Amino acid sequence: MPENRELTYVEALREGLRQVMEKDESVFLLGEDIGVYNGAFGVTAGLLEEFGEERVRDTPISEAAIAGACLGASLTGMRPVGEIMFMDFVALSLEQLALQAAKVRFMFGGKTKAPFVLRMPAGSGTGAAAQHSQSLENWLVHVPGLKVVMPSNAYDAKGLLIASIYDDNPVIFVEHKLLYGTKSHVPEESYEVPLSQSRVVREGSDLTIIATSLMVHRSLEAAVQLSEEGIEIEIIDPRTLNPLDDETIIKSVVKTSKALIIHEAVGTGGYGGEIAARIASSEAFDYLEAPIRRLTGLDIPIPYNRTLEYHAVPQVENIVVEARKLSRGEY
Amino acid sequence: MAKAVIMPKFGMTQEEATIVKWIVKEGDFVETDDPIAEVTTDKVNMEVGAPAEGYIGGIRFQEGDTVPVTHIIAFILAEGEDPPEIEETPAATPEAAPPATQAETHSETTHATPVAQRLANAEGIQLSTVKGSGSDGKITRKDIDLHMGSETAVSTLPKKTRATPAARRVARDRGVDLLSVEGSGPRGRVQEGDVRTIAKKPFPRLASSSLEPSGEPIEVPLEGLRRTIAERMQASYQQAPHITFTADVDMSRAIEFRSFANARLPEGGKVSMTALILKAVAWTLRQHPQMNAYVADDRVTLFPDIHLGVAVAIDEGLIVPVVHFADRKGLYQVANEVNDLTRRGREGSLMPDDVARGTFTVSNLGMFRVDHFNAILNPPQAGILAVGRTVRRIVPDDRDQPIVKPMMAITLSADHRAIDGVLAARFLEDICTALEEPGSVML
Amino acid sequence: MSKTKTKTRKTEDLSQAMLKQIGESTAREMLNMMILIRAFEEKADELYILGLTHGTMHLSIGQEASAVGASYAVRRGEDYLLNHHRGHGHALSWGSEINLMMAEFLGKENGYCRGRGGSMHIADIERNNLGANGIVAGGIPIAPGVGVSIQLRKTDQLCLCLFGDGAANEGAFHESLNLASIWDLPVIYFCENNQYGMSMSVDRAFNIERISDRACAYNIPGETVDGNDPLAVYDAVFRAAERARAGKGPTLIEALTYRWKGHSKSDPQSYRTRDEVKEWQRKDPIPRFAAVLEGAGMLDEDMLKAMRDEAEQKVDQALAFAEASPEPDIATIMEGVYA
Repeated sequence: MPENRELTYVEALREGLRQVMEKDESVFLLGEDIGVYNGAFGVTAGLLEEFGEERVRDTPISEAAIAGACLGASLTGMRPVGEIMFMDFVALSLEQLALQAAKVRFMFGGKTKAPFVLRMPAGSGTGAAAQHSQSLENWLVHVPGLKVVMPSNAYDAKGLLIASIYDDNPVIFVEHKLLYGTKSHVPEESYEVPLSQSRVVREGSDLTIIATSLMVHRSLEAAVQLSEEGIEIEIIDPRTLNPLDDETIIKSVVKTSKALIIHEAVGTGGYGGEIAARIASSEAFDYLEAPIRRLTGLDIPIPYNRTLEYHAVPQVENIVVEARKLSRGEY
Repeated sequence: MAKAVIMPKFGMTQEEATIVKWIVKEGDFVETDDPIAEVTTDKVNMEVGAPAEGYIGGIRFQEGDTVPVTHIIAFILAEGEDPPEIEETPAATPEAAPPATQAETHSETTHATPVAQRLANAEGIQLSTVKGSGSDGKITRKDIDLHMGSETAVSTLPKKTRATPAARRVARDRGVDLLSVEGSGPRGRVQEGDVRTIAKKPFPRLASSSLEPSGEPIEVPLEGLRRTIAERMQASYQQAPHITFTADVDMSRAIEFRSFANARLPEGGKVSMTALILKAVAWTLRQHPQMNAYVADDRVTLFPDIHLGVAVAIDEGLIVPVVHFADRKGLYQVANEVNDLTRRGREGSLMPDDVARGTFTVSNLGMFRVDHFNAILNPPQAGILAVGRTVRRIVPDDRDQPIVKPMMAITLSADHRAIDGVLAARFLEDICTALEEPGSVML
Repeated sequence: MSKTKTKTRKTEDLSQAMLKQIGESTAREMLNMMILIRAFEEKADELYILGLTHGTMHLSIGQEASAVGASYAVRRGEDYLLNHHRGHGHALSWGSEINLMMAEFLGKENGYCRGRGGSMHIADIERNNLGANGIVAGGIPIAPGVGVSIQLRKTDQLCLCLFGDGAANEGAFHESLNLASIWDLPVIYFCENNQYGMSMSVDRAFNIERISDRACAYNIPGETVDGNDPLAVYDAVFRAAERARAGKGPTLIEALTYRWKGHSKSDPQSYRTRDEVKEWQRKDPIPRFAAVLEGAGMLDEDMLKAMRDEAEQKVDQALAFAEASPEPDIATIMEGVYA
């Protein structure tokens, strides 16, 4: 098998779905336009032909029913994978996710399990404006009982998706529209990337960046630029937001003494606050040489206008400036 | 066997209910679930049913009474039975209440509004030390703010050290006093490296040969009062555009007047030239209220009262005790206060209020061989007067003939953001007049 | 119970009666508007293909009769409009200015939403157009609120609530219609059934003959009309409006029409055949309505050509206006989140 086999994020997700569906009859897909339309972003392309209408089910535009059906099927022996066309629409599924799926196991004394995955693309940058561009992961992080996974590259996308399908809990699987076309090495065989393991994406000594999803890529670009100035940045991708492996993050901050948290979602009430709190209340506190900083989306809905949209979320140049200031001790 | 009837809990957040009406009276026979009372919560009227069959007895509340939920309101008795002894405890604990972590606040007997209590709690203020200004002497939020204000005045002297958590850890490990470390970080924050440098630094070695250097330079960190002065002076010099005006004052009459005053003083007292100058300045400030001002945060604040600061040199640097209401006090009183403040300043026994609220400052270096000098504004005050020594100089008299007179140079520094040159000039002129005609303003 | 009906009168009789009711000048204005909508959207399509606009866009080419018939049957600009994501035609019919729409489409500061909303979110609050919604069925639950407000303020307005066939399968549809029914609210639920919710055909998404059949569940009138006939749409909406203003409650109207273009610009349309599209294109509402007017002696070739030329001119002028309009200032990016 070629070591350099590369797939796009979309292809990796599709391959993961296909491999699991070939092996496991209990896995089936449901969502809006996932069949003949191939999914709004093409993730399920070709799966209808391969597995038939029974296992690749187009639904009407009914997000509450999609989430509810995932839950119902998962409670009774199946491992469904649902798709919400845009993460924004998860607002319509929230009752089933937050009040039902997240609660059934605990509320019924641990006697049930709800092994399903609900996939959804988040993120701006496509000009789709305020109702099709949000990053709402923290809504779901805030609900114990749900797992929240957010892969940043094709390799993780496939491995985390397979692991999520085999996880016995409801897993919210947050993809990113701008990552779908990005490529990375993806092994052909089926493999799992374990949930709740943060990954050190790049090693460095001067500053730790904790970034999620698309922001991992932008941070990497920034790190390459800053490396030329002699600033070496360590980048950590949590990959699973809940339950979080914070040890990797804390260890890194102990090493670099400085932490910058970057996500696309709005700052107020965002996931960065959680990471900052974990760092500040850990042993890493005694190693801090500067305030913990966040670089996040502005506290506004995503604007339609291209320029405003660009400025609404962190870009590489913003990361460069912020990371430079923080590592040079300007905060 | 007596069966207690309790006030039931109808709603999730309901804590009490009011008895609207007793449907039964003492001695009535009721069957289980018969309504015995009508009660109202904040939302609805509800009926309380009999928990058992029997005779009503021991009704403990009247119509109109408000009763906490789960408290016994009556008993169902067997025929001829007496109601049991009254217990004050509720029949049941509805929900495990969280432990009262704020028990101390509740035991506080001082009279204060809830907001004031919360604030005091948050700021660690003993309510008993706060004077209340509300009705019946109740402590209000304003009182707490005022109290805190006076406390902040104290804390302007020693400052907390800024240091990163990492610097604190290393300082702790190496036994380094953070106060002795000069911070290289933003706003002078001590970074880990700063502490490590200090921890490594050897003691200065003695020179072994006369031609060798005498030793390493000794760094004395700006700390404590010195640091406060440094920061304030730097901020003032950078932020306030200073304009300065110097004038010579003929001190002949002032010197006469001082002798005159001292001759009439009771024993032990002494009117210093500083006190005389303060009186003159206070009088002049009354004529020029714009000079009695603060400039800060993009605004000028004019003060109705005149509180004059007097710069006093002490070993650690300079302090500025304040003569409050200087224009409304007589010369003797001002003189006494200046003497007292100076003495206590040197002893280190000034109280916070002694250094607070100054609206204008006078710095007198007349006892040194200083002809004149420019003073840096004492922020946020709009003006400061620098007083040089009085020397005998040859000056022309009325007929342009040379004459020797005691002359003193005074220099006004003013914040040009608020004070224009003409205003400053007139102010200075009037001080000169006051000192040259002391009789007209001093008494 | 339900008074669901598909066609009560013969098309020709209806046309004649309606033309009489509407009057010659309004009838011509309606055709004019349909032509303008078509021209606007064709220009939008062109701009998108040229990469001159950002984001996504939903075209209603082929559905102009529904938009115009519905708007003209109520008090455009005075009643309330809740629009859906395929809403260019409705906004124009409602009286919105084409220049400001084009400016919004290009994301300019002086567009209807200061360039913040774009094609999918055009609102014209001054004309009581409460905005186009990017969420399928997003506007439907808002309608009862508008209805209650009208009731409480005792005006004789109504709320025209627009949505597509796909929206009728969101749970919110049920909650909204039930509420409007039990409170007799002045709401017209106008379902533009263009046969597809993205790739999901109505046949696959529903197990009922007509979406208007659902009206019986709420004990309100339900009616299905030919959505490519502006007069039929006008007729149904006009009667629903009379009912609403008389305090008799909501009506569910289904207008059968067809979306010629893909759901959005990224739609490969693999879920339908070319023949099917062609068949519907033969039912193009514009020539069809033009023929009706010609038959009634209200229109001739020259007038039609003049209308087409004028529409193109207006669109070109709008584009010039939009292109010359300023971009939003980045410094204002935080504005408008809170009142």
